[in-house]
Amino acid sequence: MKTLSLKSLSKTYFDLYAGSHHTALHDISLDVPAGEFVAIVGPSGCGKSTILNMVAGFIAPSGGEILVGGEPVRGPGADRGVVFQSFALFPWKTVLENVGFGPKMRGVPKAERDEIARDYLGLVGLAHAADRYPNELSGGMQQRVGVVRALANEPDILLMDEPFASVDAQTRMTLQEELTRIWEDRRPTVVFITHDVPEAVFLANRVVVLSKGRILEQVEVPLARPRVWDRLVEDDAFKSLSNKVLALVRAA
Amino acid sequence: MGAGNRLAGALTFVMPLAALVLIWAVVVPAFQVRPQIFPSVAAVIGAGLAGLRDGSLLTHAATSLARVAIGTVLAVLVAVPLGILMGISRGLSAFLTPLLRFFSVLAGIAWIPIATLWFGYGFGAIVFVIFNAVFFVVVYNTLLGVSTIPMPLRHAAASLGAGRRAMLSDVLLPGALPNIVTGIRTGLGFAWRGLIAAEMIATNVGLGYMLFVARDFYQTEVIVLGMIVIGALWLSIDRLLLAPLERATIERWGLVRA
Ligand SMILES: Nc1ncnc2c1ncn2[C@@H]1O[C@H](COP(=O)(O)OP(=O)(O)OP(=O)(O)O)[C@@H](O)[C@H]1O
Ligand SMILES: [Mg+2]
Repeated sequence: MKTLSLKSLSKTYFDLYAGSHHTALHDISLDVPAGEFVAIVGPSGCGKSTILNMVAGFIAPSGGEILVGGEPVRGPGADRGVVFQSFALFPWKTVLENVGFGPKMRGVPKAERDEIARDYLGLVGLAHAADRYPNELSGGMQQRVGVVRALANEPDILLMDEPFASVDAQTRMTLQEELTRIWEDRRPTVVFITHDVPEAVFLANRVVVLSKGRILEQVEVPLARPRVWDRLVEDDAFKSLSNKVLALVRAA
Repeated sequence: MGAGNRLAGALTFVMPLAALVLIWAVVVPAFQVRPQIFPSVAAVIGAGLAGLRDGSLLTHAATSLARVAIGTVLAVLVAVPLGILMGISRGLSAFLTPLLRFFSVLAGIAWIPIATLWFGYGFGAIVFVIFNAVFFVVVYNTLLGVSTIPMPLRHAAASLGAGRRAMLSDVLLPGALPNIVTGIRTGLGFAWRGLIAAEMIATNVGLGYMLFVARDFYQTEVIVLGMIVIGALWLSIDRLLLAPLERATIERWGLVRA
């Protein structure tokens, strides 16, 4: 696990339609210690995905620096696993091959990476679906595969951009519980983007509220773990933290 | 698709063809059509049997098929890498697209005259014509296929540690495959037509040639036989080779594109 630090990060896009520059992020500085679970919330368009895409190495910052374990980011890399809102599973690979793709890229022999992939699929109750193709799975199942595909590569940092936004509410809660359980077990550094405030509070150790491309406030979440919805929905500390963050987001 | 369904599918496909043969069998004797105008069913069957017996029909068909196969394979081998390169390089794609558009209009028989000047009459000229018919369509479809691969898939692969080679073999190639297959299917259709035309002009063996010389001797039964073989061969290639290829892979991936 590695630390992640953003140093005075900024991003200016050139808007083709308006023909002008638009600054999506101003001077973002953030330190995420190794093994911490940070959620970033904020209204639509405040720059959440922009931060994540820069950390993932998909787009370059306009200013500032991103350090992973002290090293500057220069593009996508296996040290940063990404879980996409659109799942982004390879349709031409079976579930097992999808999950084994990271290990395959590392040169792990077939038998061994199949075993790794099966273990990870077992973690989310999908061992039985190993030989199916992604389009034969439900959305919730596909996203479970997306999560374990990133995990199976043992990244130092796990980046997730609204990964549960496109599944139904019931499935979303199950996925959230599975994710906290896995996180407690393996303690990866996680940056989780969402605009669902209860989701952020439920999952994270710290919630960063973003507003118009700046960090508005950071809220620590000292709730005990393991966290399960049955208990937290009634929990006063959870409720007041959620309300606090919600008020910040609405003011944002 | 179950076996029953497939049988029903085959039947609905064959029935109209059978009906056409039936009409032919009735009309030609009923109106006493002269054999120089149109042959009887029996004459064509006779010509077919004769052609099989002396081996000439097989030679013509095999030669034509071999030309198409070689021209197509060569075209695909060059077109797919070029299409993928264009798919990942904006500059290359911008530069080559107008050329591609221009030449795809010309693809096929327009090349026959110059091909015979370059390669002489025979194998080279005909394979060249087929290469042209297939090449441009496959390049274009490969390019289309690569550019329709969703960006998150490429990002996902990169984040899982894929380098250039793995990106090519595990993402770009399979991602573009549905379009590549469509391109090959379309290109082969062009190629098959181009082949017949080219063989009428530029060779002394092959199905097109067989048709063309038969005309000089008023052998309508050989002409019609040739036409039937040409059509039937194409339908078999398309239905028995290309369509199952699509079904076996692409449909299961959920990638079928209209
Ligand atoms: N490629 C781009 N070109 C120009 N402007 C962009 C581009 N990508 C994002 N933007 C702009 O940057 C700002 C931040 O976008 P971003 O996608 O990071 O927001 P977000 O917080 O993830 O929003 P959402 O919650 O809707 O996903 C927006 O104003 C958006 O219009
Ligand atoms: Mg976003």
